[in-house]
Parts: sequence; C-alpha cells; structure tokens
Amino acid sequence: MKDTAVLLLAGGVGSRLNILVSHRAKPAVPFGGIYRIIDFTLSNIANSRLTNVAVLTQYKPLSLMDHIGNGSSWDLSGRSRSTKILPPKTGEKEWDWYKGTADAVRQNLDFFNSDNYKNVLVLSGDHIYHMDYRSMLKFHRERGAKVTISMIEVPWEETYQFGTAIINEQCRITEWEEKSPQAKSNLASMGIYVFDKDYLVELLETTKEIDFGHHIIPNALKEGNVFAYPFDGYWRDAGTVQAYWDANMDILDAATGLSPEAWKVMSNLSTKGIPYDRPPVKITKTGRAINSVISPGCIISGNVENCVLSPGVVVQKDASVKNSVVMHDTIIEEGSSIERCIIDKKVLIGGESHIGIGDAAIANHVFPDHLDTGLTLIGKYAVIPGSVKIGTNCIIYSMVNKRDFCKLDIADGENLQKMDAG
Amino acid sequence: MDIIAMILAGARVDDLGVLTFFRPKSAMPYGGLYRIIDFPMSNLMYSGIEKVGILSQYKPLYLMEHMRNGEPWDMSGRRRFVTILPPFKGMGTSDWYNGTADAVYQNLDFLSNHMPDLIVVLSGDHIYKMDYREIIRFHLEKKADLTIAFAKVPKEGAHRFGLADIEEGDTRGGRILQYTEKSDKALFDWASLTIYVFTPYALFEALRANAEENSHEFGRDIIPFLLTNNYKLFGYKHQGYWGYTRTLQEYWQTSMDLLGDPPKVDIASWHICTNLSNFNIRDRQPALIGPDAKIEDSLFYSGCHIKGKVIRSILFPGVKIDSQAVVEDSIIFSNTVIKQNATVIKTIIDEDVTVGVNAHIGENTSGELTVVGMGTRIARETSISSGVTVYPNLGPAKFTKNIYCTGEIIK
Repeated sequence: MKDTAVLLLAGGVGSRLNILVSHRAKPAVPFGGIYRIIDFTLSNIANSRLTNVAVLTQYKPLSLMDHIGNGSSWDLSGRSRSTKILPPKTGEKEWDWYKGTADAVRQNLDFFNSDNYKNVLVLSGDHIYHMDYRSMLKFHRERGAKVTISMIEVPWEETYQFGTAIINEQCRITEWEEKSPQAKSNLASMGIYVFDKDYLVELLETTKEIDFGHHIIPNALKEGNVFAYPFDGYWRDAGTVQAYWDANMDILDAATGLSPEAWKVMSNLSTKGIPYDRPPVKITKTGRAINSVISPGCIISGNVENCVLSPGVVVQKDASVKNSVVMHDTIIEEGSSIERCIIDKKVLIGGESHIGIGDAAIANHVFPDHLDTGLTLIGKYAVIPGSVKIGTNCIIYSMVNKRDFCKLDIADGENLQKMDAG
Repeated sequence: MDIIAMILAGARVDDLGVLTFFRPKSAMPYGGLYRIIDFPMSNLMYSGIEKVGILSQYKPLYLMEHMRNGEPWDMSGRRRFVTILPPFKGMGTSDWYNGTADAVYQNLDFLSNHMPDLIVVLSGDHIYKMDYREIIRFHLEKKADLTIAFAKVPKEGAHRFGLADIEEGDTRGGRILQYTEKSDKALFDWASLTIYVFTPYALFEALRANAEENSHEFGRDIIPFLLTNNYKLFGYKHQGYWGYTRTLQEYWQTSMDLLGDPPKVDIASWHICTNLSNFNIRDRQPALIGPDAKIEDSLFYSGCHIKGKVIRSILFPGVKIDSQAVVEDSIIFSNTVIKQNATVIKTIIDEDVTVGVNAHIGENTSGELTVVGMGTRIARETSISSGVTVYPNLGPAKFTKNIYCTGEIIK
C-alpha cells in the first residue's frame, strides 16, 4: 500500500473529557491500561501495511509527540516508511492555526501531493476500533469513487453528534446531514475518508472550505461520486467521561468485541519511560483481584474489582478499588475505598479515604453536562490527604495537595481546585 | 577507567534437564518476565560498565535474539557494545570452548584489542543485585591481581561451590588464604559467586599458562594457579541476596524467594531491564482477571488470562488459566494453557504447553518437583505424580497411561 498516503488528524481537543484533556490532547489520553487512544488508529495503519503517515497535531501536542516518536513502535519508520509529525506552521503569509479538518489537510498538501500517491486516507486519532483499511481502499477503487467515507449505525439519540448519510443500494451517498438535530438516518460518519488524491487536491485548491463534514463532503456529493463504506465492528468515540469509562470496561467483557491483543494493538511503552522495565504484576497474600485488567508493575495488597489499572498502580492492604479506571503509578493507601472513579497518573490517595460514593443524580455543579452519571475524576499528581470523603460527580483538579483541602468532605457534584489556580 | 565485562553464558546444564534442551541456562526465564542473564546485564548497566562480551556456544541464537545488540540495557552506541562471542574456527588453535577459561582464552584478541584497564568475568546464571563499582574500588585499593566475590552460605551443601578462607580484618573482605573447588567436604563457608575482577596482565598470564593444560576452568585451574604463583588474590564479601539456579530445586527455590511478605527478593525494587521485544512481550495486552479468579501471593505478566485459582506461583507472559483450574507453588513459562479443572502443584512447566481438561500434575505429597518440557500437550484426565519428568514436544497420544508415578520419565 505504498500508493496511499495517510493523514492522521490528531488535533482533537475532546473537551468533554474535562480534566483528562487538561494537559494532553484526546488522542493521547491513556486507555485500557497501557495504551493511548491514538494507538488503535496507529496500529490499524501499521496492520493494514500502510507505510507513510503524517500526524497533524495542534492541541497540547507534547505528550502526543513524545508518544509517537518516529513511529518505530508501530514499525512505521525505516527506509521506505515514515511517520511525520506536522504541527501548524507559519505559512508564507500568516500564522496558520488549523481552522478545521479540511484546512489542516490543505496546509499540508505538500505531504501527499506527489505522483507516488493515488489515494489519501484521512483518519482521526480519537476512536477505539479495529479496521483493515485495505478493504476500504479496495471498496473505494472497485466503486470508482472519488470519496469514500466509513460509516456505522449509531443509536438514533446520538445522531446529532455526527455527519449522517442516506445511501442507495450501491452504497452511494445520496444525502448528507452534518450534526443535524433531527437526522434522517442513523448511519454516521466515523471520520475515516478515502480520497482520490487528485480529486482531493482539486477540492482543496479550488475552495477555502475548512471542514470535511460541513463543507467538503456536501460539495463533493453534488458531483455524485461519494460512497459509504459500511462498518459494523466495535467502534467507540470515548468522547465523554461516561463513554470513556464504558469503553475501558468493555475490555472486561469479551462479548463487546473490544480486544486489544487480538487486534494486535501496539503502543510505545517507553514514553517518558522509567529507565527499567516494569516488573510483573504482584498480588500479595492479602490481595484480591477479580474481573479486572491489571498492567505490569502493579502491586495489589487490597481488593480490586471491575477495574482497569495502568502500570505501577499500588493498592495497599485493606484498600478497595471498584469499577474504576486508574492510571500509571497512582497509589491508594491502606483502608481507602474508591468507587466509580477515573484517576489520572501519579495520584496519591491517603489512607482511610472514601471516594466516589454518593448520589449520582446530583450532577457536577460546574460541568453538569460532563459529569452526571456518577463518576468522579481525579487529576494528575493530585495528593489527597488521608481520611477524606469525596462524593460522586466530583472533579479533583490536577496537582491539588493537602493544603487545598479546606474541608475533608467534598459533597456530590463539588469540585476542588488548587488554591492559587484562581 | 576502561572496563570490559565477559559473561560466561554458554553452558547447558544437565541438572536443569528438559528446561535446557532448547536454551542455554543463562537464557532461562526467571521471575515472570526476565531471563537470568538480565541480572548481570542490569547490574553492569547500573555499574556503568557498558562494554560486554558474551561467551556462548550452546544454542547461541536464543541469546543473540535476547541481547539485541545490548539496546535493552542501553549498551549500544559509539562507546558501548554487547558482542556475542561464539566459538570459531581459527588458525588451528580455535575450536569449541573447552571450559570457562578456554572460552576467554580463545577471545584474548578481543580483549587485547580493547586494552581495558580491568576485566570483569561474570557467570550468566546467578540472581543477585550488585554494584560492581564497589568490588572494583576494593580491587584497586588493595592493588589486587584478582578479586573474587563471595557470599556466606551454610556449610551444609557448600561443597558444591568454590570455597575460600578469607583473611579477617576488613569487613568488605580480605586476602584469599585458601581456596577449594567442589571438594567432598566444605572446609569454609564463603562461596564464590563467580564474579571475578582481573587486572589484565594477571588474567593473560594465567590463561596462557593454562592453555597447555588439560582442564580450563576458572575455579578449578586459574584461581589455584594464581594462588600458588603468589599473585594477589582478594575475596570481596557480598552482603545481599544471592540466588543460584544450578539445579531444578535451586531454580524453583530462587523463584519462590520472589514471593511471600516480605519477599527475600523484592524484584520490583531491583529495576531490572530485559528485552521486551523478545517473544513480543511488548505487545501483550495487560493481564485479564476473570470474575471468579482467585489469586494469592503470585506474580504474573501481561498477556495472562486468569480465570481459575493461582496460589504462590509465577506466570510468564501469555499464560492462560481456565476456570476451575488450580495452580499452586508452580512456575509456568510463556503461552502455556492450563485447561478447565486441571490442577498443577509444585511443577515447573515450560513454554507452549497445554495441560488438558481434568489433568492433574504434581499431586501427592512427596514434595518433589515435576517438570514439563516445552510444547508438550498433556492429554486430558492424565494424572502425573510429583517427581515426574515430561519431555518436550509430546502430543496427547504419547500419554498412554492414566497415571504416572513418582520418578517416571515420560518421553
């Protein structure tokens, strides 16, 4: 597949993930223990034997750039393969932030506008799924399409978040709606596009439109050569706190079809790495773990149930963690109980604390639309003192420490910020 | 200070039986993730010794893949290297390595090309954590020709080791007064760790003198030669844990030392480096624990899927324990599958083995270890007592009996 260039749009902010994206872009959010969300797309690219990839970054790109490196973790570097990271750059005329998906691609025309390429595959780094793009490319070529969009049926109540299409029997798209509040179809765009390279160049050069879904696709539709590639496997956006939690928990249930190892998902384990390899998981005499994903370097002396634990998590004696996602090197001290939390990296939870139990009906006071399903978020590097009670739908911000806890009881829906954060 | 380390990694040891049919002892899996050679390699890395020659003649491919140019230990670069030194056909003198000293002797040009200030010779099959800079400082301070590290062991059973009588006075160690190698009766209680720090001229002189002899071992020949010829030999007393893996029982015990509370070896704090690309360990999904699993006092790694019961055991990447299966006091290497209702007690099972439904291995209380070789598929309902050896790559049809008794060897 040397004749297909891949553009991976990894600029997604994913703002509904709240503090999980306060210091990283959505594609860089840790997932499933050892992965980051973008690993699924990068692995799909590598496993589809595509070899030339440009990753377009914009929002908080550092941890993403670190993670992707030169692409060697996905075998996307070498003499005939490459991974380029393309941040926005000052053009000849002005400082050009990417204004939208099509604008981002337009600003990097140079990357793919060469005779080497017949097709351009445009992907987003935001989704959890497994797809062999070769089948989609084959579909595209067989239909003689100019544009092919991968599409999946979603629940009707979610259609307003997507571009949706009505298709005919040949899968040709006859009608397109972008984020319509009353969509006529529940066949939604997955943000995966195959373009004929020449056609894409022409589209981008003759217009100034900035977004694929809003402008480019509706325009192309008029010419009638846009096809939908139907997909019915596991695919999740993981764009909200609840959806992110659900997708993590899907790994525990084989029936969901989410299986990183079967999908051959690869990751870069040495990102900001400790200089040694994580040791095996240890469950001590007092430890107990059921129905969980547990990564290397975890030490479990307490009780772990229905959890996804990233490397290096420590659960001390008589501590209990249930229904939670806990990221790298977080320590949960003796006697604490954690229920339905998403805890970011390197958090310290003092002993005898009780977090996440409360009335889910009380939505977060500041972000009621982000947190209203009974989950509590704890930010990176937070230090929670011992004997604290924190309810549900709460946000404990990154870096808070003992001094920020004016009270030891954070009620349902309340947030705790660092004091000097203002 | 320019230092080269030579690791004696070549041997296959008969005492480890079926486990070393297909791998040299230094590549034996250990601790749920590592290979034994990772321990000296990590020690070297943390000691800042970044030029390493590995002497290997048994199944060298296995080691070559694992060492991957030294990259996992940050030893590949302009001034850093890990070189595998297999035997070679030379101008009449070279041939298969005839003992540890001969292996180094045949690579004298490798050493003299580099002209190091010191040469450290290590064995690739011990489990310990040591900062070699301390023994080196001691060696330089004493202006020694050879310094050997020793650990205190109970006299009972100590005769298996090289033993020394070390001059008292300095808590770190002292002059070696006497040395015996594998004598019938243990006279001293300081056992050699096979960690040698040589001043190059002494090593070269001893090796050249020894080349004419019939036996070429460091312990049996080189050390006595240096002692009788009045070279300055010092013993350095190692204080921490030292695990050896020469026999199955020792290997099993050294593995079990990783368990318990607190464990004798807190492996997490040793920060060992290994090669995660070997056998694709890197791309394994984090371990999955089923809803009815019961795991106690155990280690396991990514790729494991545990639905049954695991007590005081160590599981390597990709081990599957089906529901209602029970594993106790056992060590299970990569990708082995223990099927439903099977039990495995005090057994070492090599890679890619399948233990069939309702099979029972290692039961009965004789306490002897059971060992199962690589790739074997044990038929369902088979009962194998403790103290049985099962050969590698046997299909289920080879299990013609329902019950195998202690001492049997299934080939």
